[in-house]
Amino acid sequence: MEAVGLWQSAFDLMLGFSLFGLAWRMLFCADLFKSIVLFITFGLLMAIAWVRLEAPDVALAEATIGAGLTGALLMSAFAKLRTLDNSLKSGQPLLPRPRLHVINFWIALLFTVLLTGGLAYAVLSLPSHSPGLSDAVMSQLDSSGVTHPVTAVLLNFRGYDTLLEMAVLLLSIQSVWSMAGMSDAGEVHTSPVLNVLIQLLSPVLILVSAYLLWVGAHAPGGAFQAGSILGAAGVLLVLSGRPLFNLKKSWLIRLMLVAGPAAFIALATLTLINEGQLLKYPVANAANYILLLETLATVSIGTTLLALFVGSQTEAVQQDQSHQ
Amino acid sequence: MGAQLIQVDWAVVLIMLPLSAAMLGFLLPGMARNIGLLAALLILFTVVGLGWQLTQTGVYSHVAGGWLAPLGIQLHADGFSLLMLATSAIVGVAVSIYSTGYFKAADDQRFWPTWLLLWAALNALFLAADVFNLYVTLELLGLSAVTLASLTGSKDSVSAAMRYLLSTLLGSLAFLLGIGLLYHQYGSVDIAILSERVNDSTVSWAALGLITAGLALKTALFPFHFWLPPAHASAPAPVSALLSALVVKASFYILLRLWLGLFDFQQDSTVANMLGILGATAVLWGSIQALRQIRLKMLVAYSTVAQIGYLFLAFPLAQTGGNRVWYAVAYLMLSHALAKAAMFLVAGNMMLFGGHDRIVNLDRVVQRLPVTVAAFGLAGVSIMGLPPSGGFIAKWLLLEAALAQGHWGIAGIMMLGGILAAAYVFKVLGYAFIPSPVPHQAVSVPARMQWMALLLATLAIMAGFVAQPLMQLIGIGALFDSTGSMP
Amino acid sequence: MSMLFFYALIGVGLFTLGLLALVVQPHLLQKILALNVMGSGVFLLLVALGGRSQPVVDVVPQAMVITGIVVAVSATAMALTLMLNLSRSSPGAQLPEDQSADS
Repeated sequence: MEAVGLWQSAFDLMLGFSLFGLAWRMLFCADLFKSIVLFITFGLLMAIAWVRLEAPDVALAEATIGAGLTGALLMSAFAKLRTLDNSLKSGQPLLPRPRLHVINFWIALLFTVLLTGGLAYAVLSLPSHSPGLSDAVMSQLDSSGVTHPVTAVLLNFRGYDTLLEMAVLLLSIQSVWSMAGMSDAGEVHTSPVLNVLIQLLSPVLILVSAYLLWVGAHAPGGAFQAGSILGAAGVLLVLSGRPLFNLKKSWLIRLMLVAGPAAFIALATLTLINEGQLLKYPVANAANYILLLETLATVSIGTTLLALFVGSQTEAVQQDQSHQ
Repeated sequence: MGAQLIQVDWAVVLIMLPLSAAMLGFLLPGMARNIGLLAALLILFTVVGLGWQLTQTGVYSHVAGGWLAPLGIQLHADGFSLLMLATSAIVGVAVSIYSTGYFKAADDQRFWPTWLLLWAALNALFLAADVFNLYVTLELLGLSAVTLASLTGSKDSVSAAMRYLLSTLLGSLAFLLGIGLLYHQYGSVDIAILSERVNDSTVSWAALGLITAGLALKTALFPFHFWLPPAHASAPAPVSALLSALVVKASFYILLRLWLGLFDFQQDSTVANMLGILGATAVLWGSIQALRQIRLKMLVAYSTVAQIGYLFLAFPLAQTGGNRVWYAVAYLMLSHALAKAAMFLVAGNMMLFGGHDRIVNLDRVVQRLPVTVAAFGLAGVSIMGLPPSGGFIAKWLLLEAALAQGHWGIAGIMMLGGILAAAYVFKVLGYAFIPSPVPHQAVSVPARMQWMALLLATLAIMAGFVAQPLMQLIGIGALFDSTGSMP
Repeated sequence: MSMLFFYALIGVGLFTLGLLALVVQPHLLQKILALNVMGSGVFLLLVALGGRSQPVVDVVPQAMVITGIVVAVSATAMALTLMLNLSRSSPGAQLPEDQSADS
């Protein structure tokens, strides 16, 4: 038993230091492409750390959104950047040295070290044992409609936060669409191998997504994880050059983007009228309400993430249009 | 009827209404403008409803999800929330109407859904009573503000929006780390619960530092103001008005609430004095920079940097000045929002009219846009702090506190700031009267754009006449009265 | 127990390391990565310290972090779009004050 604990501690130490080391290399390396690859690796190691910290839900979200989709967004932006910027030829040292004066650099470093020390001191002053809200969550879990505590917090106890969260997602696509141009077609590179792979993979991903959605009620999973897998399937389809629906103009797509937030708002209004409090579910119906919210949220999250990926690939508005 | 209306959850409606309108506008881009205008009027109506409710029944609170804190999230509305909600509603309606003249129909689908989301974020923020909920509203607010700031798509506005985005994200992360530490020490994110539990500990100090720094960055307190002038100056005029009048106030609102609720454990005045010194520097630096600008929108933006400084002068004064100082701050937030929104709308009119906003080439604009110039003058009176404006009441109360406490430095800075403000306001007005050596083509400015600017400027002046009832309204819930000693 | 604090300290380290990179690195892509690393640091601290409530882990911070991860990807998508817009008008994807001009 003790040996296992020792191995685990050694593993934790290694993982922690690797995370820090990777971040260091990622942020202070002279090759942007390498930085992005390191970022994705970093995300995957973070996912392992979440598992070690008994946070499988966060691990799933990190692997799919943090490493996966953010990584895809970064890669696609980098490719675009390279076509725009002649100084970014791969293989050469790409980046200018920090323009900061040496003295300023050392001041910044000194400040960082002091801040690190102060924060570390504060963290170490925390009590070594603290219940947080775990007792409150556990005692009310039975009336939440689900048996998985993370889902209970996200969809029920703190459902109002998640409502605003859905608004943030809607904002992100509204924002990318308003900043990027009107065309939809990103340049797509296809390869036969990738195509076959994607044909095999997409249905699997959609199944995984549906499974995660369903399982979220009583085990790790739920709308965010399911939605991001769905988004990933979409990204793969785009990469394989599927003649994707015209993302921006299609009314159906807009409906899918709005479905999640709209379901939250509608349910909030309904419960406000019937129960007197927004998002207060009657215990008997809580499970159904949560499943409905999660299903529509999954659709919206998946579509949003896909649309963010496609949207970031499009041409930008060149000139000032709004302002006379 | 009245008995039923008093039960209506006006506050919740204030959040759901702009959210629903944003979604409808997103779904039906062609109707976004009409949906938005309707929503704007309904929000104004709802705020009146909430105000009436508060005067009748006192502080309003709502248990979201039916789960009491600490497990669930509470909403809370007192006089200070009401003041900010009403300010947002008034400025919001005026800017909404103004924007129908400013933006072409083709831009509606880029402007309206984002603006309605921003409005929802503001309302949700002013009603939040939970620090993590505040974080989510702050993110929604910051990201929508950045999107609006980038709307013109010009090189200046894109780089300004980028800098704004990096700053606002950094501010949010510092805030999140701060509340994370508080949660892990005190086991709650509910402000009321935290305010009972937070005591003088290492973690409290770390959280105080992180939260104050993050919010000061978002509020653009000197020396964190670097992102503000380019972002506010290069945004479309109606957006500049929203950013300067409302968005920077929102982060200050949080700072003030947490300062009074959570951070009153620190009796020592070092942090308060530091904030005061930064505020004083901001007053001087912002005013001098405003005076040096050659473009009107940059001048108005630097004036915001200076006026934000006044808000922070209150921190050292409140140590012994008590509640009156905070009332003055609340009053300043209101009158600055009205006057500054008016000024940016004026700048938009002048840009539309002459095709530029170079101050020296305003070219007798006074004869051709008299309403607009009148709006600038009236707004200027409030910014300078001259009677009988709202700005005068606020600054007079602050000055009184400074003199009563023998804070001669603060008093001096305030008067110097007033003189500098007069100088930059009259600089603009002066050029508005003289012909420009370079004549230019004038474009006609829609009447509603001129009248909306005048409306806001007039309200900024009128705020000076209703001090007594307004103070009573702000006092609902006695947020300010419970702290500090009476003067 | 001590491992939780170790992870929390790594979180602090990531936060400040990201802050340093955000300030000193000129390229916008690096700044965006830096903010993401800072975010991961905060998340790590939040979740790790939630583990102090043995035997049952406190899941409220986990829910907060899932919220945070979604905000982070939204912000990253916006930042990348802005960066691309900016690099269309000025080469190098840097903010004006970071450009190695002779100013």
